[in-house]
Amino acid sequence: MNVIEISGLEKSFGSLEVLRGIDLEVKRGEVVCVIGASGSGKSTLLRCVNLLEQPNAGKVLVHGIELTDPDVDLDRARRGIGMVFQAFNLFSHLCVVDNLTIAQRKVLGRDKAEAERVALANLEKVGLSEKANAMPAELSGGQQQRAAIARALSMDPDVMLFDEPTSALDPELVGDVLGVMRRLADEGMTMLVVTHEMQFAREVADAVLFMDGGVIVEQGRPAQVIGEPQHERTRTFLARVLNPVQAR
Amino acid sequence: MAVSKRQRAQIFRSFQYGLLVVAVAVLAIVADWGEVTNAFFNLDAAGTQVPDIITSALVNTAIYTVIGFAFGLALGLVLALMKLSSVPPYRWLATVYIEFFRGVPALLVFITLGFGVPIAFQLQFDLYSTVMLALGLVGAAYMAETIRAGIQAVPKGQAEAARSLGMSQGRAMISIVIPQAFRIILPPLTNELILLTKDSSLIYVLGLSRDEYDLTKFGREGLNQTASLTPILLAGLCYLVITVPLSYLSRYLERRSGRRKDAADTAAGLEVEA
Repeated sequence: MNVIEISGLEKSFGSLEVLRGIDLEVKRGEVVCVIGASGSGKSTLLRCVNLLEQPNAGKVLVHGIELTDPDVDLDRARRGIGMVFQAFNLFSHLCVVDNLTIAQRKVLGRDKAEAERVALANLEKVGLSEKANAMPAELSGGQQQRAAIARALSMDPDVMLFDEPTSALDPELVGDVLGVMRRLADEGMTMLVVTHEMQFAREVADAVLFMDGGVIVEQGRPAQVIGEPQHERTRTFLARVLNPVQAR
Repeated sequence: MAVSKRQRAQIFRSFQYGLLVVAVAVLAIVADWGEVTNAFFNLDAAGTQVPDIITSALVNTAIYTVIGFAFGLALGLVLALMKLSSVPPYRWLATVYIEFFRGVPALLVFITLGFGVPIAFQLQFDLYSTVMLALGLVGAAYMAETIRAGIQAVPKGQAEAARSLGMSQGRAMISIVIPQAFRIILPPLTNELILLTKDSSLIYVLGLSRDEYDLTKFGREGLNQTASLTPILLAGLCYLVITVPLSYLSRYLERRSGRRKDAADTAAGLEVEA
């Protein structure tokens, strides 16, 4: 069964066409990684899945509900779609545990005790139990991102969107976040991940999409797309990413 | 002999100190200290002012300011949200309001509310309502722009994260954006409170009974009774008792938010790809 179904998706910012006809399916329990250069439209694609960006054309269905239908209750639909941002976006005025409970309480109507129970369970999952009462500014980038993942998980989503979750991190902190994501994938979470981490894509993803110029140029098994790319543009991109010094 | 750069700087600094000493000395010689003491430091006149200047006038000024500020803050928030509305007429209304009340003297607003409105609309406000409305209407115009700027200074990612968790636009505004906006604008809002404290002196135009006097009116009555400026000086000191701690509070809050911003920038300043 498809959790995410996208067809004919187009998005422009003014005269700039960022997405030019995207078709995409993500099945339950599948991990799909989207790779591509900056400006290829991959982040915009992800932001169109939960309608943080309003597409100009095309359909987005999540769990069979058409989010692009103007009559759909978007706030309700978004509850089931967790999102993790490049800049973490933890609520800076709330401590970690309040970051995890506020939407549970205000959106799902859970009481304080129940919301905190869920929050602490998810903090333990990402290895941050001891930071429950810290403010976001007191955490390292890696800790902030893991807290942000726990925040999304606290809404019990059945699909997670990751928008370059490790791009803003110091290299030594990337592993912690990828480790959390890998465990999530192992537990069967459906994930759509925009990333530059080729090793993660190769080892964890069920499918890899390469985007360039607002279209999906190539897609398939990771070994195929990353290992034996068929298109020249894919090869050029991978050569630059996998071997940045030599390619220059 | 040539004078080095450092020596020149030293000479110039000595000259500045010398100028200051001369100025103070001239002032001390020219002033008639007997008259100055009599005018400003008259203990008999001061005795007639206490304790009422504290227990009544200072308290009144504080109450007038606080109720005006509270109403102004609420109305300012509404105006700020109107200015950010996607419905153009709301934006126009808010702009007209802000431009009008920032542009006319507060005294005119007080006179209008105290005398014009009751006659024109057959409404009789009590004193506190009038003060709250008058100070609030003027303060709101200034605070609206501050609040709007604060809301716009909250990083867009905060609202996006809230929406991605299923919060409605209004819920995200109330639970996430506005609390952060107020943290950002706490220092300028404190300044606004200082300005309102001083503006509260304008309510004398409403015609007050003695136990309703604010500090300025109380001081002026004291001046009439004692023929000494001491009550005015005392009233001034009482204002400083309110405003100086507030301005220190404002500076403290500014420093603190500066520090927090540094820490947050490391995390939030990284939105690279649009």
